[in-house]
Amino acid sequence: MIASDSSVDVRLALLDSVLRTVGVGLIVLDADERVVLWNQWMVQHSFTAPDAVLGKAFAELFPELVNGRAHQAIKGALKNNFASLISPTLNKSPFPLYASADEKANNNRIQQAVHVMPIEMPSNLPLHQHCLVQVNDVSMAMAREKQLRDQAMELQSQIFADGLTGIPNRRRFDEHMEGEFRRAKRAATPLSVAMIDVDSFKDYNDNYGHQKGDECLILIAAALSRVLGRPCDLVARYGGEEFIAVMPSTNADGALALAETMRKEVQSLHIEHAYSKVAAHVTVSLGVITQVPAHNTAISHMIGAADRALYQAKRNGRNCVVAHGDTSDTPA
Amino acid sequence: MFQLTELQHDALVELFNQGVGQAASAMSQIVHEEVTMSVPTIEFHTRAEVAQALGSVESRRICAVTQTYQGAFNTDAMLMFPEEKSLEIVRLMVGQALTPEELTEMEQEAMNEIGNIILNSCMSTLANIAGKELHGSLPMYRIGTSEQIFGASGGQWNGMVLTLKIDFNIEKHHINGYVAFLLDLTALQDLQSYLDQYLSGLMS
Repeated sequence: MIASDSSVDVRLALLDSVLRTVGVGLIVLDADERVVLWNQWMVQHSFTAPDAVLGKAFAELFPELVNGRAHQAIKGALKNNFASLISPTLNKSPFPLYASADEKANNNRIQQAVHVMPIEMPSNLPLHQHCLVQVNDVSMAMAREKQLRDQAMELQSQIFADGLTGIPNRRRFDEHMEGEFRRAKRAATPLSVAMIDVDSFKDYNDNYGHQKGDECLILIAAALSRVLGRPCDLVARYGGEEFIAVMPSTNADGALALAETMRKEVQSLHIEHAYSKVAAHVTVSLGVITQVPAHNTAISHMIGAADRALYQAKRNGRNCVVAHGDTSDTPA
Repeated sequence: MFQLTELQHDALVELFNQGVGQAASAMSQIVHEEVTMSVPTIEFHTRAEVAQALGSVESRRICAVTQTYQGAFNTDAMLMFPEEKSLEIVRLMVGQALTPEELTEMEQEAMNEIGNIILNSCMSTLANIAGKELHGSLPMYRIGTSEQIFGASGGQWNGMVLTLKIDFNIEKHHINGYVAFLLDLTALQDLQSYLDQYLSGLMS
């Protein structure tokens, strides 16, 4: 509202300078969708002078927007008097507006939140229906939100990663296993799990120190992950010097072969271990279980079986693979 | 209890289906994917009944986009989804991976636009049959229990709530939402007379 005691000239001058100063884009269209107002903000960010715009039809100025969301909103305002909101998330920068000449050269548009509103004009005017298109620059808010979203994603990935080795942690394993177990049960496909333990790791830590022990675990984690390449496979740190691998749609032979490859991959790291009871370098033992989960099988049964197979591998002399139920190579 | 005749009722269902059909095609255009919407049922209830149906007893949180229309008839219109469904819809529309458990500011804005498209489309078919001017406000996003959204306990309000169930389909996902129009007695009579006018136009 403008103070009513001012003269018409003063009011017009005031409105004019407000339109020139205001920090949002304002376009007014008449009933024929012709531009009758194009404020200074629009001039500045569209790099188009008012003379090139005033009196022109919307379709002529923005041919790529014809019958798009913004155009429909304008029609809705002119025909039905409905207000519309055009959100930056669902509509990527509809109008060709730029923060600077450089941005224009790079075709990097301002991110926009647009309001389209019918405006009341005296009904005795010809073509009295008008509508106002208001453009807000929301580039800052969008950038801030992207930053927050990225941070949230980063945090979420940290929740599921092992702090030392960077591979998935126990929590991630539990979640993944749950999903794969259910899938295997439904599709009646074999699911394999390998429990992996570093041989004589206590002796390694006691003699080389914990820092060396940590480095050793990082190398082993990477080696194990290299072997399992499919997206549905997962190697996680299960605790201490124990790792666990899930191999969906993998039968007993396949799982044994993969376990053997993992064992060799660790061996070929040639990490010196002068205090190992098995070899001159760091080795791992693996226990493998393969099952088509039955209706009454539980995840804990499978993990328990893999654990027993691992125990058997330790008794068989370490640095080897034992499949659950396979006692053929047990010494008499 | 306010009631429409069977003919009026069927005409209204048909008009709303036309409306949400237009909204669906506008939304398909935005996401470049097929979006379909239909209105299987409409009902009239009191405010308290609607609040209860939307979970006021369990204090379930709903998200609502509201707009006010004035002219041919006056009404507060709102599109409502359970909070978790609004997350689903916005993220299906935006195509973003799910992260925070609440809508961010920009996602709320997107929800506002979805509501805006649906409500304006529904109302434009009614404005057409009324043949009178109808002014619509910008949408407002609100979240709370149905009790809070409807202010069900407040005031001596003798109107009814016209509710439409909306079936919303996008990318094999099927989501139910509600649109409610708060109509006082005058608005109800206006609406009824526009429907009669429309029906007699069809008959003649």
